[in-house]
Amino acid sequence: MRFILLALFGMGLFIPSVHARPVSYPGGWTLMLMNDGDKNTVHAHYSPTAKTSVGYKFEYWRDDEFTINAVQMNNLLKRWNKKDSQANLYLKSGLGIAYSDNGEFDSETDAAGFTGIAADWEDRRYFISYENRYTEAGDIADFYMQSARAGWAPYEGDYGDLHTWLMLQVEHTPESDDNFTVTPLVRLFKDVHLFEAGMNNQGKVLFNYVFRY
Amino acid sequence: MKKLFLTTALILSLSAPAYALHPGGTVTVDVNGLVCDFCAQALQKVFGKQEAVESIKVDLDTKVVSIHFNEGHNLDDETITTLINKSGYDVEEIHRGE
Repeated sequence: MRFILLALFGMGLFIPSVHARPVSYPGGWTLMLMNDGDKNTVHAHYSPTAKTSVGYKFEYWRDDEFTINAVQMNNLLKRWNKKDSQANLYLKSGLGIAYSDNGEFDSETDAAGFTGIAADWEDRRYFISYENRYTEAGDIADFYMQSARAGWAPYEGDYGDLHTWLMLQVEHTPESDDNFTVTPLVRLFKDVHLFEAGMNNQGKVLFNYVFRY
Repeated sequence: MKKLFLTTALILSLSAPAYALHPGGTVTVDVNGLVCDFCAQALQKVFGKQEAVESIKVDLDTKVVSIHFNEGHNLDDETITTLINKSGYDVEEIHRGE
């Protein structure tokens, strides 16, 4: 187990990583709108406990022109709370339906599922994370992807202040033509709102918004 | 003399001790894992549902959570620890009346 964790964080260091926390506090709702070079995503989830969230996920993969509608469950497998830092290991899985009318897929619908792990470590100045996912959607899609992110906060804001992070995200999709993309981005975080904006090395825009209440 | 009395009264009122601001008393807790506003919001939400709690203050610099109680109310250490664990964080130490 220790070897696996070390490997995960090691990959996180070399292939920097990903997103806002997939589980909220007990009774918390979260809305995540994410847009990058490949897809547009909406994910709304509810956390009955601080270790689980369940919600609805919609994805539109623009180049391959297919959508996934799924129920997604996120589980916090382990959290390490230290005096000045926090690390997390999550399992994220979804089951639903994929739909495509691209090319030979004439309004084809298939069962879809995805699963992956996410790990992160952060203190008030530095952030690293890693996430992977395998997606299976019958004839429509079948692919693996991983991404990593490293971030740095130029200042430490107090609770309620505007928090600013400068981040670098790398995504790896082995089956894609451009299988590595690099995205520098800015994260702005205040109260219950989190914005991220950036542009990858192919000139495609990333824009994420997270609202938690 | 009157001026001196008023000035003294003003200074005393500005330096009122914490128990005057929070007559129900305050407990401070050293908490591990507090690294961002989401963490502080989690504690605010969980403790905000407690009838005994007037308000809480989270200091991300010191990792100290100050819990202010309504008059005549309190929470024991076990309950505070359970609520902080339930929020997703760990208690390092609880301080009372220091």
